Amino acid sequence: MTKAEMVFGEVAAQRTVASVPLSHLSIELGHLYREDLDAEDINGYGRRLGHHFKAVRPWVDALRQGFTDVRPGRAPRISTCFLVDDYFGDFSTPAQLVPALVTAADSVGLQIDYLARESGCADADGVPLAALVEARLVDDPPPDTTGTRPPARETGWLCNGQRTPASAEALSALGGWAPPTENGARNHSIFVDVELWNEQDGRRVWSCPFLAAVWQLLRLGLLRNLGEPVAVPAPLSLAELPETWAELPPVAQLTPRPAPFSAYRTASVLASRFLPVELAVRTILSQVHVDPEADQQVVRRSGAESVALPAEVVDRVSYVFLS
Amino acid sequence: MLAIGEIRTGLLQNSTAVPAALTTRALALLPGELVRSSERPIAYAVSPERLTGLDCRLPTRSRARARGVGTAVTRAAITGGRVLQASTRTVLMRAGTDRRLPWAHYLARPGVVEVTGRAGFADVADGYLGVPQQSTLDLAALNERLFDDIVMRPELDRRPPFRVARTTLRWVAEVADEPAVPVRRPPRPAGDGDGAGDGPAQAQFWLAGGTLRTARLALPADHLPMVVELCEDLALHDWLLTTVTGLIERGRPDAAPGSVADTAAVQRIRPAVDHLLHLWMPAARVDRRLLPLWESLERRPGFTRQWDVSVSRIRDQIALTTVGLLGIVAEGITRA
Repeated sequence: MTKAEMVFGEVAAQRTVASVPLSHLSIELGHLYREDLDAEDINGYGRRLGHHFKAVRPWVDALRQGFTDVRPGRAPRISTCFLVDDYFGDFSTPAQLVPALVTAADSVGLQIDYLARESGCADADGVPLAALVEARLVDDPPPDTTGTRPPARETGWLCNGQRTPASAEALSALGGWAPPTENGARNHSIFVDVELWNEQDGRRVWSCPFLAAVWQLLRLGLLRNLGEPVAVPAPLSLAELPETWAELPPVAQLTPRPAPFSAYRTASVLASRFLPVELAVRTILSQVHVDPEADQQVVRRSGAESVALPAEVVDRVSYVFLS
Repeated sequence: MLAIGEIRTGLLQNSTAVPAALTTRALALLPGELVRSSERPIAYAVSPERLTGLDCRLPTRSRARARGVGTAVTRAAITGGRVLQASTRTVLMRAGTDRRLPWAHYLARPGVVEVTGRAGFADVADGYLGVPQQSTLDLAALNERLFDDIVMRPELDRRPPFRVARTTLRWVAEVADEPAVPVRRPPRPAGDGDGAGDGPAQAQFWLAGGTLRTARLALPADHLPMVVELCEDLALHDWLLTTVTGLIERGRPDAAPGSVADTAAVQRIRPAVDHLLHLWMPAARVDRRLLPLWESLERRPGFTRQWDVSVSRIRDQIALTTVGLLGIVAEGITRA
């Protein structure tokens, strides 16, 4: 005898998280700030960009080779991207800069598949990405965090341990100054305290490391809004470039059929001066609780392709620092 | 492995049952995250989950040292637009090393606390269910904060129709390391489910005094994901029973039938009828694999049996008061 069984389910009770296409590797070819481009003439910064991409090229080849070695006989899916900082003040115009970027990359045989703008990491087509990521921060707890008290937060800051006590009472209880300490330090501390945002003219301004952390999470395919993908790349024709950065999509696709923008892992080839920024980025990424379902999707799919992937999000991020 | 949790249950601070759309807004604790809800068999909505980092001593009965590092998961649920629950849980697992690892390691395992030290899990389970120990893991505080966050939501008017105590259910689930292998057991006809003899799943429930209840469960590892729903359902029904029983006691059923005191008594139990009686729906959302646990709790302490008795008492009292009032009315008509 078979027993018929009714399964009752309601759509609203299910939590659905859309998946995003994934490459094996996302390579960031560079990061461009206004101060990098204070030269007046376009030929001037065309040359500087040319030097930059020439220095980047061998490392891109090495990163590609690394993936080809892991999966011999199969072409890896690798996409490239470039980030332009339009958040901390406007500069140049897309109509001027984008062709110069593409030409300079092309001159050393590199293609920029996706061009992203930093303000898109704060707000992507009306989705407040930075605020969504901030809401997912889970503070690294110092020893004796029982849950009784909420985490000791300095508004707008995030650290990797315990700060020096600030109040006079706390100092006298300790019998004087106490150094800040890193949680889980090995013998000695490397204490990092990162400013996430501040207020300027009554408006919240996100810090560069915080937006760069959002940028990494976007590239890792781990951000969703109400279960839906965010900052989905939109094709951009080089023939119809707008005059303002705000008119560009948060992530613009520049080449016809690139590998997907998001990837299991990211690699960024950057000038060494970005090292402190990236230390801050890693401090932030180590304390973001990404959507578990989005993360499981990435883990399952990499597993199905036999691509090893660390469980820790921050360990999926790598760098080449150039002098 | 040992799963532990704590559930705070109370009346939602609002004058009426909160409609589904407002419930969903009140539970939107995490921007960008959906509130899950369902309408049947009873209106139910659950907030996105909040994660909290912990690094502290764990309570043990023997006072042997145990330290836990990891995260606890907290969520809020509203049932029938009337009952608010805050629920925190974590799974204790043996750590691979004595060292504190980088925080990213623990965030990659949300809802897990890794345990170092000599104490065994049974010792921690006893310690957690026993007398509270200072400066050890405090899941209750996480629930309190979430409860306070919801109470302050603008969607709620904070004018409840009656005041009742919140209850706390503290639970542990000892998890067998091996997943259950159902094929080993011969299939049994439906309706013959005897929880106590049904594999390793077991449940015990105590009224620990005041508003604290404790539950101790044992189950196979693959049933672990469903245990939170079971405990939340248990806490909900225990709260309903506690509240309705309390309202009956407050109702003073010893007043003379038809007297002013008697009518007032019925008025006092009226909130139970208006707001709570329809919420009784045991095991509505409990995974059927855990139903034997519910059934064993139904045998002892026997929630539904006591509920039915309470509901009968309310109905009897209303009926008697009505008869008394009718008598007075009839007397008035006869005299006139």
